[in-house]
Amino acid sequence: MLKGKGIPIFITFLVGMIMIISFFIPHKPFGDIEKISLNWYSIIAGFTMLLGVDSLIGMHFRKLKRKDENWFFSLVLILGFTATVVVGIIETVRFGTAFDDKSYFTYIYNYFIVPLQSTMFSLLAFFIASAAYRAFRARNFDATLLLITAIIVMLGRVPLGEQISPYLPKFTEWIMQVPQMAAKRGIGLGISLGALGVSIRIILGIERSYLS
Amino acid sequence: MLKRTLLLIVFLILSISLFSENDGLIFLENQTPFEEFAITGKDIPNDGGGGIEIEWSFPDSLDNFFLTVLRKDEAGNNSIVATDLLVSSKQVRDVSSEEDPSRVKDGTKYYYTGILSKKMVDENFLNMLISKENGYSKNGIYIFNNDTFYVTAETDAIISKASWFNLSRIPVVISLILISFVFLYYLNLAKSGKELYIRKINGLDAVEEAVGRSTEMGKPIMYILGIGYVTDIPTIAGLTILSRVSKKVAEYETKILVPSYDPVVMTTAQEVVKEAFTEAGRPDLYNKNDIMYITQDQFGYAAGVDGMMMREKPGAVFLQGLFFAESLILAETGHSIGAIQISGTTETAQLPFFVAACDYTLIGEEMMAASVYLQKEPMMLGSIAAEDLLKVFIMVLIIVGFILSIFAYGFNIGIFKNLFDLLVRALQV
Amino acid sequence: MAIATNFWIWIAALLTLAIYSFLYKDNPFYKFAEYLLVGISIGYGVSVYWHNTIITKVYNPLVYDKNFLVLIPLLLGLLMFSRFFKNVSYLSRIPIAFVVGAGTGLSVPSSFEFLFKQVYATMPLKLDFGSLIIVVGVISTLVYFFFSLEHKGFVGRVSRVGITFIMVAFGAAFGYTIMARVSLFIGRIQFLLSDWLGIIK
Repeated sequence: MLKGKGIPIFITFLVGMIMIISFFIPHKPFGDIEKISLNWYSIIAGFTMLLGVDSLIGMHFRKLKRKDENWFFSLVLILGFTATVVVGIIETVRFGTAFDDKSYFTYIYNYFIVPLQSTMFSLLAFFIASAAYRAFRARNFDATLLLITAIIVMLGRVPLGEQISPYLPKFTEWIMQVPQMAAKRGIGLGISLGALGVSIRIILGIERSYLS
Repeated sequence: MLKRTLLLIVFLILSISLFSENDGLIFLENQTPFEEFAITGKDIPNDGGGGIEIEWSFPDSLDNFFLTVLRKDEAGNNSIVATDLLVSSKQVRDVSSEEDPSRVKDGTKYYYTGILSKKMVDENFLNMLISKENGYSKNGIYIFNNDTFYVTAETDAIISKASWFNLSRIPVVISLILISFVFLYYLNLAKSGKELYIRKINGLDAVEEAVGRSTEMGKPIMYILGIGYVTDIPTIAGLTILSRVSKKVAEYETKILVPSYDPVVMTTAQEVVKEAFTEAGRPDLYNKNDIMYITQDQFGYAAGVDGMMMREKPGAVFLQGLFFAESLILAETGHSIGAIQISGTTETAQLPFFVAACDYTLIGEEMMAASVYLQKEPMMLGSIAAEDLLKVFIMVLIIVGFILSIFAYGFNIGIFKNLFDLLVRALQV
Repeated sequence: MAIATNFWIWIAALLTLAIYSFLYKDNPFYKFAEYLLVGISIGYGVSVYWHNTIITKVYNPLVYDKNFLVLIPLLLGLLMFSRFFKNVSYLSRIPIAFVVGAGTGLSVPSSFEFLFKQVYATMPLKLDFGSLIIVVGVISTLVYFFFSLEHKGFVGRVSRVGITFIMVAFGAAFGYTIMARVSLFIGRIQFLLSDWLGIIK
């Protein structure tokens, strides 16, 4: 019986209904149910992390063993992972928590992870330029409209815009507050209706593709 | 002479400090800065308990004064609720929190007192008031170190309690019931065999072409679910689209790569793909290792997926789920390798970048409806028709509101003002 | 100022350059930085999960607070491990069913709340040209999202207006973000020129 879809679908239905009802009942334990369930999710995710590590490290171990084209980089990945975990354990023993200011674990975070993250993030400056260039070349009405609005808003938000025309920042403000807001609300209303649809399809078991 | 002067100065300093420590307090009982100088408190309605709301309404001229609120419980313990609130803020809440879960106990009697002052409240004075020996039972004017503090009388006993039903959410209950009926009606209609129509969604007709072209070129398909969790609806919608896409992939006997950000999403995606391959009659083609974990770091994930794109060179890239700043990093890289890209998300801030960098973009609700479009089962189509009926209802509501407001404020007609107010209040949840 | 002598600054600077080399093309330096970031960040993630989840959310509540409710997610989490064994792997559907149920269930009332808020915000509390445009914009955008009607004739024209609003909104969001992204890049260049090379202050 457990092998079929019946039990999981019933669990989804039951949990879903409890969540909906609890929205209207502030009394304990219903009132805290959102917080509790998010807490539980992170616990489940914490355990599932092991499956994730198994998947990633397993894949790179296989690449290493097969001496794949990029085997050296797979080694870098595995060593990076192992070193971080080992340093984490050592520093936990040394300071009581790995997240101490003086621990090498914090150094790894500050001098490896942070610069890598922020550099990846800053790549967007180039990508946004190339995306804008492409929109510039696409000669249809929608793309042109998108681009013109983008240029107006961009100029309206920098000091140069004020110099071109004092009305530009005001016009930008109007675009943000009126047409932009209108479309955002329309899209938002659609999204909440769509989310309702997805949720109802899943809670009622009409959509069950997430269970095999 | 010099010694004597120095000594005199020392004495003077000492005497000032003596004076300020002991003789600084003057008390005038029952004096108030204005009539009806008091604060009130009540249980916060519609909550889960553990919360009391304290309110005051002082003359506007005192808006820049400070108010400090103290509390005594039935056992006689004093504590500070909040110090130096601006009088203009009109209210403060005394609630239990994560750090102090038993601060306000349901069923216990609490008494509150306010201290009004022009300057921020003096710490020594405050400590004196809340110390067990003195207490703050007396209301009146205190002059301490030349600063004046007006202390209100204690409030009546206030008791916090938990509610079993949130009354402010009644409009939501009513609409939930109505909407359930709409959905059930359409689901029944679908069951009874009535054919329901769904309009063309740009991009979804291209799924077949994208998978087909990739297969011809001998390239894999890449499906990116973004950085959401399984509790996020866009991620769930992305997973349902994944199910339809992987069915096509199995039919074309090609390969699908799903790099994941969250381990639970990865596990669920494995289930989804396995099921789709089984349904397509090709469970033998399913490879668990093609749905792999990358990392739960936003830009680490972006770097990993970018690298994978450059090396595996997928012929089609699907970006369906919850995306934030990494959206354009992924979409531009996908574009640079010449893949057909079909994207979709509910994040309005990221949609412009998808529109600019991808061949097709599913906007918001289109993405949520995509799995229905790709499968076209009657029951699912029924739910889409129900969504549309609700749209009509919302439009009518907005138009009615607009017309009411024209009559209410354009022509200044009283009854329309009342109707408009009624409508607006019903919408406030 | 002179070039940095701090070992850690050098690491950060070289990794920064390695990531930027991707703009030219995929190359060994980028690959190195990419694999390193993935490896280190997952190692960091494991430590964070260990600290925040296993210790803070499971061990402490169980041992110190005697909160046995934690046993439920603990059991659900452990059921995920059934995937390591082929003959019982179907048990992992139970935690999946649970989280999907929680996500969809929570979204129903919150979607409602959002719906009410959006309609409320659209109500013209003051009558002017802007509020008329907003009403037209919201309605035509909603018409664009109509699925059970063909977008022809009148519906087609209104939905066309909706698309126009959507494109203006997208353009505005695009333009709004450009400067923020450029400033990120300037931030990295500042790090390279000042913290590392010491050319500027």
